[in-house]
Amino acid sequence: MASGVPDEPVEGRQGHYAGAVTRLVAFGADVGASWGLFTVGAAALTFSIQLVTGAKFSLTGHQLASLIALAVWEFLYFAYQWSLGGKTIGMAVLGIRVVRTDGMPIGPRQAVVRTLTLPLSFLLLGLGFIGILLNRDRHALHDRLAGTVVVYSWDARAARLRWLARQDTGAAA
Amino acid sequence: MPGTGRLEQLAQAVAERVVTLVLDSIDMDELLSRVDVDAIVSKVDVDGLIDRVDVDKIIDRVDVEKIIDRVDVEKIIDRVDVKKIIDQVDIDALIEQTELGTIIARSTSGVASEVLDVVRAQGVGLDDFIARWVNRVLRRSSTDWPVGPPALVGQPPPAPELTTGDR
Repeated sequence: MASGVPDEPVEGRQGHYAGAVTRLVAFGADVGASWGLFTVGAAALTFSIQLVTGAKFSLTGHQLASLIALAVWEFLYFAYQWSLGGKTIGMAVLGIRVVRTDGMPIGPRQAVVRTLTLPLSFLLLGLGFIGILLNRDRHALHDRLAGTVVVYSWDARAARLRWLARQDTGAAA
Repeated sequence: MPGTGRLEQLAQAVAERVVTLVLDSIDMDELLSRVDVDAIVSKVDVDGLIDRVDVDKIIDRVDVEKIIDRVDVEKIIDRVDVKKIIDQVDIDALIEQTELGTIIARSTSGVASEVLDVVRAQGVGLDDFIARWVNRVLRRSSTDWPVGPPALVGQPPPAPELTTGDR
C-alpha cells in the first residue's frame, strides 16, 4: 500500500484542473452507484407494490416507465449532488469537484444545465469528451455549455503527510 | 582692583565681537571642503575607541521592555511571507524528528483513507501521464497554461511540476 503515494515531494493539486483518467473513473463510479441505487429502489418499489396489492408485479413489463424513471433518477442523482456540493459520490471518492470557470461554487442552474447537456457529450460519439484531453482548461462539451470546470479537491500534500506518518508509525512498531 | 575688572569685561566684549566677526567672514562650506576627512578618520584609532566603550554599561541603560512596547509586532508579521517560510520547512524531517507523525497517523489511520489516497494518487499520476503524451503527440507545450481557475490557484505558476505518480 505504501507504494501508492509518491516518495518525492508532492505539489498540492487542490484547485488544479482534473485530468481525463480521474474524471472517467469518477464517472464510472457514479454510473455504478446510481444504477445500484436505482436497482435497489426498483426492487424496493416492486416489493412494496406486491405487498400492498398482493399481485405479482415486475418492472420488466413497464419498460417505457422504467426508462423514464431511470432518466429522471439519473438527472436527480447528478443535478442534486452537483448543486449541493459540486461533487457526486464518484467525484468525492476520486477527490474532484465541479466549479464555475472562475473557480467559485456552481449553483443549481449550472448543475441542471450540466446534467442536461452531459448526454450530448455521449451522443456526439464521445467527441464531447475530447476537450478534456485537448483543451487547456480540460473542458468537456457539457462543461463548456454549463460554464463549469472540474478540479482536484483532494489535498495531495496532506495525503503525503499521512503516508509519511504511517511509514513512521510502521517503523516505530 | 576695580579698574582691572572693568578692563577684563572690555577685553571679553572685544574678544566676543572679534570672534563673531571672524566666524561671520569665514565660508564654512569652503573650509570644510578643504578638510581631508578621510585623512582625519584614518588617524583615529577606532578599535581603541571601541575598546574604551563599556558596551555592557550601555546595554544596562537600555530599556528593552520599552523598546518592545514601541514595536508594532502586527505590522512586522504582516510583512513576513509565512508561505515562503513554510515552503522552506523540511516537513519530512519534521515528522521524522517529532511525535507529529504519530499524531497524524492516529487521527487518520483508517484503511479507507489510505485506500482513497492511493487511488487518488494513482489517478493523478495517470492524468499527468496522459496529458504528457497528448502534448507530446500534438507537439505542444503546456508550461504556460493555467493550472486551474483563478479563484482557486491565483495567478498561474510559470511551470507546473508533474510530481505525483511520476515514478
